[in-house]
Amino acid sequence: MLDSLSAWLALNIGEQASSWFDYFTNGKHLAWYASVRFTLLAAVFGALLAVVFGVLGAAARRAGFAPLRWLGLGYTTMVRGIPDVLVFLFFPLAFEQTVEWFMSRRLCSAEELATAVNWPPCSAAQWYLSTTEYLIMACVSLGIVYGAFAANVVHGAMNSVPKGQLEAARAYGFSSRQIFWNFQVRQMWVYALPGLSNVWMLLLKATSFLSLLQIADIVQWADRLGAPNYSSRVGLVHPDWRWKYYFVLFLFYILLAILSERVFAWLQRRASRGLALHGEH
Amino acid sequence: MKKLLLGLALSTLVGSGAAIAADVRIGTEGAYAPWNFLDDNGDLAGYEIELGNEMCKRAGVSCEFVVNEWDSIIPNLIAGNYDIIMAGMSVTDERKETINFSAEYYPPDPSKYVGAKGLEVDFDNLKGLKIGAQGATIQAAYVESNLADGNTILTYETPDQSVADLMAGNIDLLLADNSFLAPVVDGSSGAISFVGPDVSIGGGVAMGMRKEDTDLAAKMNAALESMKADGTVDKLIMEFFEAGPFFEN
Repeated sequence: MLDSLSAWLALNIGEQASSWFDYFTNGKHLAWYASVRFTLLAAVFGALLAVVFGVLGAAARRAGFAPLRWLGLGYTTMVRGIPDVLVFLFFPLAFEQTVEWFMSRRLCSAEELATAVNWPPCSAAQWYLSTTEYLIMACVSLGIVYGAFAANVVHGAMNSVPKGQLEAARAYGFSSRQIFWNFQVRQMWVYALPGLSNVWMLLLKATSFLSLLQIADIVQWADRLGAPNYSSRVGLVHPDWRWKYYFVLFLFYILLAILSERVFAWLQRRASRGLALHGEH
Repeated sequence: MKKLLLGLALSTLVGSGAAIAADVRIGTEGAYAPWNFLDDNGDLAGYEIELGNEMCKRAGVSCEFVVNEWDSIIPNLIAGNYDIIMAGMSVTDERKETINFSAEYYPPDPSKYVGAKGLEVDFDNLKGLKIGAQGATIQAAYVESNLADGNTILTYETPDQSVADLMAGNIDLLLADNSFLAPVVDGSSGAISFVGPDVSIGGGVAMGMRKEDTDLAAKMNAALESMKADGTVDKLIMEFFEAGPFFEN
């Protein structure tokens, strides 16, 4: 189909249009367009995990059991202070080497364990990570970092649910658990959404770090495609075009941001249904 | 359970899933034409890709190439991300301290200087110049130890960036492998040219391997030996570099 389109362009518009079309639809560029899936998958699954971590973190912060409360407080205050790039570098590596440590205890001989200079001590304990595994790690990393922000938002939103609602629920004989999930969590979304939309925007931007985890994502491909090329054997000869490719990424992220704002506006309307807000009774 | 489901969902969506792993993984830079590069289809191509695949075939092992940045190509070999390096890497004594080399699959080739057209400098006494090289290469080591006095040395992450900076006039001279520069100078339509004397540094180019992988080295050396004997290596050198040096066996 691409070939016939290219031929149609050559016939009706000109050779130049056709050759540019060929350039922008060559395998390298198609790989670039396809790599958008990594960014979107990381954003969606990262955000889902962030919400899960956020609700758990917020629940921990208001737990009756003190150590759990400290854990929640520690999570939200500490992780928010660590740069996301560092978590991206730290968590997958630490996780991989922990797994390899357990594998090496089981699979390597005592002699190998004692004498090895390199990591892992023996090749049987080597855990090779593919793109899929790195992507899962990326999602979990995003979930950890932005879960801490989400926990803070959710914690604040839970406090914003009118006390009267909860007291009324108690008066009707609902259990504490029912009150928490069916009244407090159910109603807090409308207060949490503006904050969560902010967290989502930050998370979306952080998906540009995927190439740190050896994932050939849109940034990595933009780098490769824009790199200057002086050898006709490799393809089109051109100087450093990276800024042009990065500019396309700018547009892509701005488009995603606009789209997200609309989705959040819709969610906000949905979450507000049937709630008495802004003094409407 | 949730993690497992997430993993399953991701692996189906990503589509790569658990591919059958090759016996041997070969790490390359993928940005060093004509040695190794990504072609228009986004696939790895070049002298080392063809040579490596033929060596694996003759050694009876299944191989897979993976792309890794030049900076971390030796550390990641040692960490076990792949088993062999094929990335236009010259044999040097310094590298021999950490890794093992196969027999050479490209004979020693001089390094050359390139400069803007019409550049006139006294190569017996280089002073006050900006001299570039790709980082962690034999050329970078050479300029840093011999020319750092009185000149400014700049190193680059990728070979393409070093050429781009020369083209932009940010450096006066660039020192790199002749085999990489020759097509670049040809393709520059006269903007840059070879200047000064050849500089002989380092040995030929060979596969880098972990020191303990002696069986793999023996297998690969036997395969390379047979390819040198029947002229396959020289034929590939001609195909990709359009000039020598050859082994001429």
